[in-house]
Amino acid sequence: MSRRLLIVEDDADTQSFVANGFTQAGFTVQTADDGRDGLFLGTSGDFDCLILDRMLPGLDGLAVVRSLRAAGVETPALMLTALSAVDERVKGLRAGADDYLVKPFSFEELHARVEALLRRPQEREETTELTIKDLTMDLSRRKVRRSGREISLTPREFQILEFFMRRPNRVISRTMLLEGVWDYHFDPQTNIVDVHISKLRRQIDGDDDTTLIETVRGAGYMMSDGS
Amino acid sequence: MFRNARTRLILITVLISALSTALVLGVLYISANQIIERETRRVVNAEIIGLSEEYSRAGVLGLAGAIERREQRLPDRAAVYLLTDNFGNKIAGNLGAWPPTVEAGGGWIEIDLIRTDTGRSVPIAAASLRLPGGERLLVGRDATGQTRFDRALWDAALLAAGAALVLSLVSGWLLTRLVFSRVGEVADTARTIVSGDLTRRIPLRGTDDEFDQLAGTLNNMLGRIEMLVTSLRTATDSLAHDLRSPLTRLGEHLHQLEDGTLPEDARAAAAQRAEAEVTHILRILTDMTEISRAEAGIGRAEFDQVEIDELLRDAHDLYHPVAEDAGIALTVSGTASPITGHRALLSQVLSNLIENSLRFAPEGSEIALQVTDTDKHVSITVEDQGPGVPEADLRRIAEPFVTGDQSRTAAHSGLGLALASAVAGMHDGALTLENRLNGPGLRATVTLSRDG
Repeated sequence: MSRRLLIVEDDADTQSFVANGFTQAGFTVQTADDGRDGLFLGTSGDFDCLILDRMLPGLDGLAVVRSLRAAGVETPALMLTALSAVDERVKGLRAGADDYLVKPFSFEELHARVEALLRRPQEREETTELTIKDLTMDLSRRKVRRSGREISLTPREFQILEFFMRRPNRVISRTMLLEGVWDYHFDPQTNIVDVHISKLRRQIDGDDDTTLIETVRGAGYMMSDGS
Repeated sequence: MFRNARTRLILITVLISALSTALVLGVLYISANQIIERETRRVVNAEIIGLSEEYSRAGVLGLAGAIERREQRLPDRAAVYLLTDNFGNKIAGNLGAWPPTVEAGGGWIEIDLIRTDTGRSVPIAAASLRLPGGERLLVGRDATGQTRFDRALWDAALLAAGAALVLSLVSGWLLTRLVFSRVGEVADTARTIVSGDLTRRIPLRGTDDEFDQLAGTLNNMLGRIEMLVTSLRTATDSLAHDLRSPLTRLGEHLHQLEDGTLPEDARAAAAQRAEAEVTHILRILTDMTEISRAEAGIGRAEFDQVEIDELLRDAHDLYHPVAEDAGIALTVSGTASPITGHRALLSQVLSNLIENSLRFAPEGSEIALQVTDTDKHVSITVEDQGPGVPEADLRRIAEPFVTGDQSRTAAHSGLGLALASAVAGMHDGALTLENRLNGPGLRATVTLSRDG
């Protein structure tokens, strides 16, 4: 079962860079060069995810998403934007996009975000306990145990860990953490996220040699459940 | 000529005054005419009634006698009488024969009759009657008076129209001169500005009339435009200047990458440095966009209720591990009720201020975040125990592309304080920078207006 992706992007270089990346990652990719074609193809509903440029000839990305949502097409959409202003980011989400990514971006980051969008429905499941390897998180009693040993975390550390545990085997970028945990929609100039992660690692790994939160070079972090 | 607005305005004035003169005279003419006509008819009717009574009392002969007496009483022949028998033969009166177009008893008529003494045609308003014995009676009055009135009124109308024309030309000219001299000043100023002199303003006359108010408003607008253009120019200049260095360095790193003779680890280091330069350049561009948008007030539409103390606690939560690693204590204090503001931009500003302090604060020192709430303002203060800033530079460092020290880290654009200043301005507030009172350190205060 190959996952189908629609890429609406007028810049040929960006389009082929993104399309090639996803084809190699096992996606079935279709492309459109402008907003009208994008809207036409997107309305078919044959896709699992849409990637849209914010600025498109004919009909811009915001308008395409707005029209799709108005037509009842709920396919998850990610907006690519060269406009990094905080306002513009928020505007894209308001128009109905599910996520955005500021140009220039790394393919790893885009891939991680698309995977996140594809698995989104699972997050809505009511769970009271999350488990990754020997780490368990009791959501109702807000307790974390590793191999039976109880780990005490601050509320924020708990929140970060929950963010990872709800997205096993997926790359989580620093920006995704800032947005998801702190609701910060800009990129700070210091390595604050790394510091939070290393503190969290010290807490959950203890003296263990194997870290549960792996660093993914150039992309961010990941917790894999070994499956 | 009709394309000329001034001529058009004068023509409109003349046209309106001509129309109103014509209207007044027309109404006057109609009502005066009605009065004259009514009067003539009243006289003629009274005569007919009088003569009919004479007929009933004294018969045809008595009536003929009465007619003759009346004729003599009106020697200027302003009145016309004719009494004929059943067959149209004249019995009495000053009219030669019954006019062939007139039917007896046919009501009111207007006829032109030739006077035998002057030979001129005279308009007559008359009424006729068939008497019980079959005789016919015609009584009329000279309507020349009405014609004379018509002529006098026409003369007056011409005179009035002439006067109105002259007056309206003069008033139109005066009016347009008043308007167009002011319009001309505005146009002159605009032309000078278009040709490049942004400092020109429309002269005020001190009359405080609508024209002065308009000129004042336009001048305010021009001032704002000049301010924006100047700041844009400065920003573009410094942007070009500031991008030159990282781009040059980027070029060098790329050049090293191409150099095949260099060892692998030196090339890897060059690649890393190139990446850092790109990050730096992107950072500058992002911050620059953010600043110019904040200065232009874009984003006010996103204003919402923001709890500043919560914002401070979030920032504290985010930054205290980094501070801790650097051996710096990050503290937070104060409470404030919510204000109307741009949440995302305010948290970015706060983050910029904290990062700025983190860069300069020595190990073992403290960075204090504080919120204070007054009637009209909520202030955010970030105070560090770093080296501070020389007094002479305090004003300057919040301008774009100026940093206290010249050693910029790759990720630091030098625009953090400028953005703080622009965002404060967007909230009708200001950024104040001062040195700490007790010992070295910088104290940055962002004052925000409560109403946003």
